[in-house]
Amino acid sequence: MLDSKIPSGSIEKKWTERKFENKLVNPANRRKHTIIVVGTGLAGASAAASLAEQGYKVKVFTYHESPRRAHSIAAQGGINAAKNYQNDGDSVQRLFYDTIKGGDYRAREANVYRLAEVSVNIIDQCVAQGVPFAREYGGTLTNRSFGGTQVSRTFYAKGQTGQQLLLGAYSGLMRQVAEKTVELFSRHEMLDLIIRDGKARGIVTRNLVNGDITSHTGDAVLLATGGYGNVFFLSTNAKASNTTAAWRAYKRGAYMANPCFTQIHPTCIPVSGEHQSKLTLMSESLRNDGRVWVPQKTGDNRNALEIPEEERDYFLERMYPAFGNLVPRDVASRAAKRMCDEGRGVGSSKLAVYLDFAESINRMGEAKVREKYGNLFQMYEKITDENPYKVPMRIFPAVHYVMGGLWVDYDLMSNIPGLFVLGEANFSDHGANRLGASALMQGLADGYFIAPYSVGNYIGLQKLAAIKSDDDSVKATTQAVKDRLEGFKKIKGNQSAETLHRKLGKIMWDHCGMARNEKGLKEAISQIKTLKEEFWNTLWVPQNDHCLSSEIEKAGRVADFIELGELMCLDALERKESCGGHFREEMQTPEGETLRDDANFSHVAAWEFMGDKPKLHKEALTFEFAHIAQRNYK
Amino acid sequence: MKLKLKIWRQEGPSSPGKFVDYDMDHVSPDMSFLEMLDVLNVGLVKKGETPVEFDHDCREGICGSCALMINGNAHGPETGTATCQLHMRRFKDGDSVIIEPWRAKAFPVIKDLATDRTAFDRIMAAGGFISTNTGNAPEANSILIGHDTAESAMDSAACIGCGACVAACKNSSAMLFVSAKVSHLAQLPQGHPERAKRVRGMVTQMDNEGFGNCSNTGACEAACPKEIKLENITRLNREMVRAVFKD
Amino acid sequence: MASLKLFLKSSVGRKFLVAVTGLGLSGFVLTHMAGNLLMFVRPEAYNTYGHKLTSTPLIYLAEAGLLAMFLIHMGLALKLALENRTARAMGPSQNPSTCEKSARFGSQYMALTGVLVLVFVILHLISFKYGTYYAVTYNGVEMRDLHRLVIEKFKLPLYTGWYLVSMLVLFVHLAHGFSASFQSLGLFSVRNCLIKKLGWAFAFLVAGGFFIQPIYGYFYGGN
Repeated sequence: MLDSKIPSGSIEKKWTERKFENKLVNPANRRKHTIIVVGTGLAGASAAASLAEQGYKVKVFTYHESPRRAHSIAAQGGINAAKNYQNDGDSVQRLFYDTIKGGDYRAREANVYRLAEVSVNIIDQCVAQGVPFAREYGGTLTNRSFGGTQVSRTFYAKGQTGQQLLLGAYSGLMRQVAEKTVELFSRHEMLDLIIRDGKARGIVTRNLVNGDITSHTGDAVLLATGGYGNVFFLSTNAKASNTTAAWRAYKRGAYMANPCFTQIHPTCIPVSGEHQSKLTLMSESLRNDGRVWVPQKTGDNRNALEIPEEERDYFLERMYPAFGNLVPRDVASRAAKRMCDEGRGVGSSKLAVYLDFAESINRMGEAKVREKYGNLFQMYEKITDENPYKVPMRIFPAVHYVMGGLWVDYDLMSNIPGLFVLGEANFSDHGANRLGASALMQGLADGYFIAPYSVGNYIGLQKLAAIKSDDDSVKATTQAVKDRLEGFKKIKGNQSAETLHRKLGKIMWDHCGMARNEKGLKEAISQIKTLKEEFWNTLWVPQNDHCLSSEIEKAGRVADFIELGELMCLDALERKESCGGHFREEMQTPEGETLRDDANFSHVAAWEFMGDKPKLHKEALTFEFAHIAQRNYK
Repeated sequence: MKLKLKIWRQEGPSSPGKFVDYDMDHVSPDMSFLEMLDVLNVGLVKKGETPVEFDHDCREGICGSCALMINGNAHGPETGTATCQLHMRRFKDGDSVIIEPWRAKAFPVIKDLATDRTAFDRIMAAGGFISTNTGNAPEANSILIGHDTAESAMDSAACIGCGACVAACKNSSAMLFVSAKVSHLAQLPQGHPERAKRVRGMVTQMDNEGFGNCSNTGACEAACPKEIKLENITRLNREMVRAVFKD
Repeated sequence: MASLKLFLKSSVGRKFLVAVTGLGLSGFVLTHMAGNLLMFVRPEAYNTYGHKLTSTPLIYLAEAGLLAMFLIHMGLALKLALENRTARAMGPSQNPSTCEKSARFGSQYMALTGVLVLVFVILHLISFKYGTYYAVTYNGVEMRDLHRLVIEKFKLPLYTGWYLVSMLVLFVHLAHGFSASFQSLGLFSVRNCLIKKLGWAFAFLVAGGFFIQPIYGYFYGGN
């Protein structure tokens, strides 16, 4: 059993207690400690800036050309916080409870409570930085509502909340760069973790511009490297989003927790052809006014406007009369998939359902709809060349977020001392399903308000010997990275990493996607093993790696994705229950809903790398404060 | 449809570049422009040739990575669109398409179509922030900001830092980028204490980076994928004049 | 003081100076044009106006000011234009004129139109300020008969043609320059509807006013 080091005492007091227990580091001594931060999204940028403000020497790494390009920038909808500005009965307690329930009781209670607790500070911090949140005419902050909750607690900046929050964190980071407390390494990708005496002491990076492999050492390493949704090739993630940093840490001994927990977002623009490179999300808010339907008959090839009202099946309204089109993401996605499986999908691919605004346009008028959703409609039209004011949108679920990630304890430290994991890269707060507008909240909570305390405590407790660049651990890790790159070059096949990645994506989507079963998962594992061989026999990368080369970058990432895919399937196979985004077809209610098995699976599955056979460790999940129940949205 | 591509190929920052022709035979009108380049690259790999490097990431028009000059237009012919949101249906069968990197002294070419835009980061470091440490913040609603002011600041803040303004400008001026940031923070009360210092710092850094001077042509506004307004430049100029009187 | 120095060294500050001097020079061309129109009142009025203007000692101060504005405007603008060329590393095929997302009319050719205006001004000064001195006497006061010189010059088709072309160039320069100055000063954006219209109106008024004289001179000068 894993020890998550949760402080004792009542849930309201735990974080206060922990902060008080923490060791402090004398301000004058802080600059003697180097902290390495990998990733400059919300979690990475905010942690790096906060630690630098405290006086630590911080080195920040990103494979982007600028910290501002991290994928947090693409979040649209908003950020949750328990401010209760709308006087609708919100509280820390309620945000905590909604998150636990939304996550289908597979998240760690103490972490979630702390997340809800610091959520209010995040809004203060961001406003102070100049984030232009939407306002009321009186000048106070305004909110909107989001799926899975009954209060209005989402703060937003038009449809670009992630962008504005990231620019806020980025500006704080650049301020520290100017003060020379942060050293910024852009276009540098972390390719391995340096461990000495069992502790994380540094990383090995590749300079993406000139191919130089260098080591960087310090006293602690923070990974804020995002999620691995791109294991499915097609996802709403950015093209470069990858698992390499996390996977390298896993290969060095960090545990990977709940890797199979994936969030599939119901409202994405469907795939248009073989050339598709990524999927585009349409904000969840569309489900407030759009009605989801498919034809009643299978194989109905008429276009949408020709299908009369009585021959349409508004399936979400039919199946979930209480929540209707506003059921949580996992529920909506699965229902859409079921319709397509029945042969009632629409569009040329038959892998889509309609999201229809005709009724709303009749009710509120086109102008009002345009005012509320104009930018989303425009985006849809740009991509599909169809006018959603005239014909219903076609939507289909797509991989959007992963709840799984590296295992961390209450202090966000992995099982490797000195290795901290923040944001989407860790597993901690969202259980088996994340609620909308909670990813931004978690990234910033980890970066601004949690990691700076726990890293300080770790530094305060250690007596770390200096580590030199000619240390054996540094040399060996650097050499391993070089050998691996040489390995790619030696293959001299004729397939690009992208081609192989597409193949992996198809296996993952078919067998480890919205619905999973034992047979399919076993099949997937064997297919992935074959694909791995194919990769190591047919890959092509350019021989010159001393220049910008996306093929070399992708090769390493795809190699890691293939291994991760296998572990995800294994994790999904082992978790013989359905919960949140993880739907095992064998475990469902008669109505086709998820069926949890709390007696056997109320735990975090943390996997340890052991060559071919990963070892499973469990962390028991106990719910002392949240009342455990079956999720019901009918 | 078929296309004739003419793409700028350049080995590295100091090597000379040249145009190379590529014929594309099966381009679907539903493809995005970058997906068309993906297809080209997969084909090049099959032949053992080095693929074309270009910056891209989110492919939904927000990260600001993609940056292509397409037939002389920054981000291509469509207004209010980043390269990644441009679709091939905008082109006709048999079209020739010239693809180049951003061209500006301050944006040196790294390889092929990828340029180095870190000058923007250095401009940001020279003042594009509000100096507040984590934990310093007062209660969010204690700072009242009118609805319209917040919206206007948001419009300026929407800049994605792609550099299209520099690429479109005949002077390679970065004024639209710098002015968007200055305007965003100058409009908000939180940004007022450092107002003069900020605009001075950012403009000085902009000049030092080797960007050209603004000649009020408005080409930047026309090319901007986020349709950042020229009014921001007016505001930047005003902020600079104001800064003379405030130390 | 330090902040003023920094301002004047910055690109924004130098553009500010170009705008201030540009507006000053705009004022000058406007009054010059208005003075020209006196020709249509009576030759006497025209010549007397010229005489009065040149016989006050303040004229030296005004001329010095004008020259200073001219030099600052030109010198800074050319320096900025040269910097712009260095900042732009043009690709072989990149031609802004093919750009479908267009820039403001006139803004692309400010340096060129500016230099042409300079050439015109020099020739103009040679023709008139330092041209043939015809004397005329009104009420016992002898003064220069500029009217005669003007009529004589505009009887030459080549000269009239050059003059008209130059005024067109001036029109293009003013059409952008006048309204853009307000943006450089931080007052109004060139996208401001009123300023945009004002810019066009001003350029049209000035160039149009200057147009009347040569046309009149050419067609009716003989009478």
